[in-house]
Amino acid sequence: MRILEEGKSDYFKVAPDSYREFVRDHKPHRMVSKLITHKEAVERFVHDGDYLAYDCNYFQRGPSSLIREIIRQRKQKLWICGKFTYVACALLVEGGCADRIDIGFIGFGPWIARAVREKKCTIYEYSNAIVTLRLKAGAMGLPFLPARSFGGTDGFARSGCKIVEDPYTKKPVLLAPALNPDVAIIHVHQADEYGNARVFGTGIAHQECALASRRVILSAEEIVETDELRRDPARTSIPHFAVDAVVHAPFGAYPGTVQGYYASDPAGVVEAMGAMFSGDFREYLKKHVHSVASHEEYLEKVVGAKKLIEIRRRETIREGYGA
Amino acid sequence: MSTPATHFNEREFVICQISRLVEDRYVYWVGGGGEPLSSVLLAKRTTAPNLQYLTEDGVVGPEALVPFDPLMTMISSRANYRALQWGTMNYAADLAHLGYVDYGILATLQVDRYGNINSTVVGKYAGGEGRRFGGPGGADSIAALAWRTILVTDQQKRKFVERVDFISSPGFLDGPGARERHGLPPNTGPWRVYTPWAMYGYGDDCQMMLQAIAPFVTVEQVLEELSFRPALAAKIEVLEVPTEEELLVLRSQIDVGGQVTDRGRWIELKDGQYQLVQA
Repeated sequence: MRILEEGKSDYFKVAPDSYREFVRDHKPHRMVSKLITHKEAVERFVHDGDYLAYDCNYFQRGPSSLIREIIRQRKQKLWICGKFTYVACALLVEGGCADRIDIGFIGFGPWIARAVREKKCTIYEYSNAIVTLRLKAGAMGLPFLPARSFGGTDGFARSGCKIVEDPYTKKPVLLAPALNPDVAIIHVHQADEYGNARVFGTGIAHQECALASRRVILSAEEIVETDELRRDPARTSIPHFAVDAVVHAPFGAYPGTVQGYYASDPAGVVEAMGAMFSGDFREYLKKHVHSVASHEEYLEKVVGAKKLIEIRRRETIREGYGA
Repeated sequence: MSTPATHFNEREFVICQISRLVEDRYVYWVGGGGEPLSSVLLAKRTTAPNLQYLTEDGVVGPEALVPFDPLMTMISSRANYRALQWGTMNYAADLAHLGYVDYGILATLQVDRYGNINSTVVGKYAGGEGRRFGGPGGADSIAALAWRTILVTDQQKRKFVERVDFISSPGFLDGPGARERHGLPPNTGPWRVYTPWAMYGYGDDCQMMLQAIAPFVTVEQVLEELSFRPALAAKIEVLEVPTEEELLVLRSQIDVGGQVTDRGRWIELKDGQYQLVQA
């Protein structure tokens, strides 16, 4: 295949053969219980230097409680997947955890230019759908997938994508390198203790993320019986053998929403956005991450039952979510 | 029944312009929130009740319940209420690759003569010197894959530049044939640019052309707020002001809290003339 143009940036290694071998040797093919705490899941499955993908974001059915736990444990030198994001990248960079970002969309503010100027953070440019396409390639066991977007942009030159002559049509086509993250954190509506999981409503790339990633931590609003999943198998979004840990995390997306379960907390959203636009996360991280030892303590002491009842009450729509 | 309004602001004006383009027979991919989504929601409640739109999270044809909580324009139960289908981001991109997306509607930070879109950095990219913004998000897929793209931005010199500081999402790049050379599908690209003051189209040379202005500004005022001189249509049309009916829906059902419309200058009808209210 003739290469016509190449992005000049470094990109996370593409190695479908080694990923297959990893799946054979390390993925839990047998159904075993994986129900553990946030603390244990992050200790065991998130390592310094990992490529980390989270699905959705801190405000929209994202793994917010796991993001806080990663910061609490002061993980370091993560390369993160900044698609469809408001504050998650800012929190992970300012929390001292991440130093590389593949960008599709991130919430901006003084923090990002400062991190780049001070060489605390390296940025690689993509778009949201090119990042999810890379995850799709990773989830298919392929080295790359083509797309008919992203070519001609200045982001392309700062990415790991290439434009080649398509051997079939002879026209230029973009190739995006597969992405197989070291670890993914995904928040779901329901999971059983083995990691069979259901996501209701729209999403970004939860299934691709789960299948593409070497290690997968699910946080679930509800832990359900496997029999419940067997009643309606078409609604299973993620199979157990992709999953390494299941964490029970009611209100795990707080201050964000989980569709059909609870609304976002606008005050909590504004507080996080405010920290991002001010460029100073110290107070936010102190209050929301480091002042408590666990998600349970966070809900009890920082958020409070009154707020939790209120956001559950404000979510009036149930159609399509759950039974 | 439609009654031309006598008081409205710039934001309301531009939302109503785009809303009037929207029709039942097309599929739209709408950028996440702001003027693009407000325009489509307004059309759905006025002239095009059966229109279908997608957003980046792969929702197809929702009947959104507005208003939304702050930032909750996607992956939320109100935004995605009573959709025809719920998908994911790759599904939205698939539909656009296939050619189902007739129009994309996007807001942008900076645009140039060829309709290239910058949402990444204003100023110098290298070394973190420029002012950094969020990146293309879903806009790159919309701008590359929709048959026609409608852009909305402000009429300011710093937003209409000869060449954007960074091409986040593609317009016509550097002219005819450039999109195809970089792997984008043929017969796609920018179609209209709307600002609160003017509407632009594109000539065969892929360059921006001023086609219409708002009744409260002159062509000279508009041209002063561009860093380059666009082509001028043989006849510059005058855009119609919002109607009272449109404003009622927009203010009472769509943007009740003013999250989208509560900025920009006011316009009033005075002595038979629409005028910008002096601050």
